[in-house]
Amino acid sequence: MNKHILDAMSAYYDANPIESSIVSQPATIAFDNVSRRNFLKVAGIASSGLVMGVSLPSFAGTANKGSAAAEFNPNAFIHLSENGDTLIYCGRCEMGQGISTALPAAVADEMEADWSKVSIEQADGNEAKFGSQATGGSASIRKMFEPMRKAGAAAKEMLILAAAKVWQVNASDCYAENHFVINKQNQQKLSYGELATLAANIEVPIDPKLKSKSQYRYIGKALDRHDQGKVVVGKRVYGVDTKLPGMKYAAIVHCPVLGGKLKSVDNSQALKMSGVIDVVEISPIKHPFSSIGAVAVVADNSWTAQQAVKQLKIEWDLGANAVYNTQEYKAQLVKNVETEAQLVTARGDIKKAFSNAATTLSATYTGGHLSHAPMEPNASVVWVQKDSCEVWASTQSPADIQKVLAQYLKRKPEDINVHVMMAGGAFGRKFKCDYVHEAAVISEKINAPVQLTWTREEDMRTGFYHSINAQHIQASMDEQGKVTGWLHRAAFPSINTLFDASVSRPSKNNFSEIDEHPFGIKNYRSESGESPAHTRIGWYRAVYAIFYGFAMGTFADELADKAQQDTVKFLHSIYDANTNAEQQQNTKRSKAVLDLAAKGAGWGKKLPKGEGIGIAVHYSFRSYVAMAVHVKVDGDNIKVLNVDCAIDCGQVLNTDGATAQMEGAVVMGMSLALATEITFRDGAVVNSNFHDYPVMRLKDMPKVTVHIVDSDEKPTGLGEPGVSPFAPALSNAVYAASGKRYRDLPFKPLKV
Amino acid sequence: MSKTINVNGIEYPIDVDEQMPLLWFLRDKLEFTGTKFGCGNGLCGACTVHVDGQATRSCITPVSTLANKNITTIEGLSEHGEHPLQKAWLENNVPQCGYCQAGQIMNAASLLATNSSPTDDEIVSAMQGNICRCGTYQRIKKAIRVAADELAKEV
Repeated sequence: MNKHILDAMSAYYDANPIESSIVSQPATIAFDNVSRRNFLKVAGIASSGLVMGVSLPSFAGTANKGSAAAEFNPNAFIHLSENGDTLIYCGRCEMGQGISTALPAAVADEMEADWSKVSIEQADGNEAKFGSQATGGSASIRKMFEPMRKAGAAAKEMLILAAAKVWQVNASDCYAENHFVINKQNQQKLSYGELATLAANIEVPIDPKLKSKSQYRYIGKALDRHDQGKVVVGKRVYGVDTKLPGMKYAAIVHCPVLGGKLKSVDNSQALKMSGVIDVVEISPIKHPFSSIGAVAVVADNSWTAQQAVKQLKIEWDLGANAVYNTQEYKAQLVKNVETEAQLVTARGDIKKAFSNAATTLSATYTGGHLSHAPMEPNASVVWVQKDSCEVWASTQSPADIQKVLAQYLKRKPEDINVHVMMAGGAFGRKFKCDYVHEAAVISEKINAPVQLTWTREEDMRTGFYHSINAQHIQASMDEQGKVTGWLHRAAFPSINTLFDASVSRPSKNNFSEIDEHPFGIKNYRSESGESPAHTRIGWYRAVYAIFYGFAMGTFADELADKAQQDTVKFLHSIYDANTNAEQQQNTKRSKAVLDLAAKGAGWGKKLPKGEGIGIAVHYSFRSYVAMAVHVKVDGDNIKVLNVDCAIDCGQVLNTDGATAQMEGAVVMGMSLALATEITFRDGAVVNSNFHDYPVMRLKDMPKVTVHIVDSDEKPTGLGEPGVSPFAPALSNAVYAASGKRYRDLPFKPLKV
Repeated sequence: MSKTINVNGIEYPIDVDEQMPLLWFLRDKLEFTGTKFGCGNGLCGACTVHVDGQATRSCITPVSTLANKNITTIEGLSEHGEHPLQKAWLENNVPQCGYCQAGQIMNAASLLATNSSPTDDEIVSAMQGNICRCGTYQRIKKAIRVAADELAKEV
């Protein structure tokens, strides 16, 4: 163990002892009863200062205050020391989206804490204390904004009450500002640090008063990522960076075909290699997110383990999915959506709409599988001992690790100690922690801490892939170009196949994003096409919106063209036709971002020959995003020049973080629109690394301008929704520039 | 006398398999984890370090070929993180997940060491081998421009 690692580990443990002691004593504070006793207990753990484990009514708002049966979800943890240092835990997982800055800033804002005195720690896996930690679906801010603010506001009120006691005045004679409580009568000040221990003895307020928008100090402002200073000196520690004394390194190989089984393995050559410790066979673990079975080599360093894996002579029984070829499968999906499929939802009379139509139009859109390919491949460290199991993992779902390992090791979930590490990107892949479960199997077998790092090739070939898909839309229009009927058929292997292998087509639930789309279409029908899964499905950043957004956003442009109308005006008219009272907010906000993106791009301006602007808008994850993409097209060469992106996510928390999310969404949208696709041949993934999965590089970066709607609405997330409007806006832009229409993603598939 | 390698100013013996790439010698042997594994094939640039000042993909460079060479990793780029690129990275809030950024910064530092006033095209061309999946390219370009302009002032 080298000194700098020991120092880092010791700093880590120094920062965490309070956390671990709390875990051993489930002391939390409920707002409504007996809080004082528990509170003192908590405060007693730290030698001094205010330690707040704040409980709030469950997010559903069903908790009945004062009722003994009411459920309480602890959700935030503030530790204020006597020197004023304030530690705020982030319960949700951080993977680059910036949640560990945005949510603690909301706590600090309501607490009137001085941001320079705030440090932030990632919470260990503990849903009893932090509420749900599963991080995906752009839900963190939507679900946690108010509870986190209340946690901060409660702390502030307690500090004010403590100061009022000292001065023997009413609390109303005091106010808090930037880490001080101030006496209005004489302007005397007491610092938060001075008040910390006293405040710990104050009853937790039941309903702390929240700030109004004009009082925000950090919310809605541009904040630096709290730990970016560590990044530029190489000190931010990721899941793959954990080092422990006596730790061994593992590399792994999986069956290339889903459902295949290990027939035999000859490990003699591998075991002969210097540095190789063991070869471990891993049987499939029966859980939808867990290992499909593999063979791992353990060595005294990762490279030797990787080399030894290549020396294994393995025979696989490939099984039934060895027939899977994506080229043929995609062609079959197209057939399945171009003929009648299974009814999902019907409104109005679509037959009549089509028979009375002045014009009709139909088109089919397709897309391939995608691999998340975060820069940090799947990696974790696990140490299984007789009486403990400790995990250090980049993960989006610590509770799933606890559940699966509890099941596998026959222990309780709370006995699986998961340290949530900074993830080097995730994009949905690290929701499913098969790589962590595998490390546990290896650790148990060799009785030592193990770091398992998948190679890029394994990461790309043993994924949970975004669905290959086909969609067919038919629409009818009247003489004024108003859309009167819309038939939408979709076929894609559903994520439900992970839980039930007999599922052979998307469920009604999988259709909700189009069935409830805010387009105003009176006569509507959706149908689900047959599409069994031959690989594991796991959503990619933006989920359904990738293909629904592409099909709907491109088809709307095609309809506008057919009706000889301007696309922005045409989209307005579809939204305006929506008479559903519950969706008026959706249509209004959709149109507003559309107009904002159009304005930013100079929609309608004269462009040189070969250039064009396309636009698309999509509502997903309760946020609104529109993109106007300006391209230059020369033959098959598509150059994206500018992207104007408009977002409405309600009250934005960190304007710089929101902007960064959109810049990144453009890059991810551009990769999947132009170039990336996972291809299967004979059941196995053909791609292996970044040469044949060519994600976007710096040369292709357009100028991205982000326009944020200033809104007082409740905040919604931004990790997912930015990706979807790019591909349709690009397709529309290329059409505008060249007359060529792309309906298959990616536009320029690699021949693999 | 065994071969040695100098990493961030300190000599270390090369006491591993000669074929072991520098990346794994740094990460698993010396435990300098700031240098990242991304692809193992020199395709993504996450593992970029300097060998005698020159940006090098450590994942495909056998450590035995580097005897008596000076290696600089992100941890050794500057004493207190005060390299103009490190400062520009923070001013422009470049990192998201941050995993690729050590490689990005080391690659850019090598560019600026040989060409202190690169054109925008030269920046793009030099950074073409470094992938960022979070999509921070716009800010990377801007930060390099800012740092280069800063260096130009100093000269």
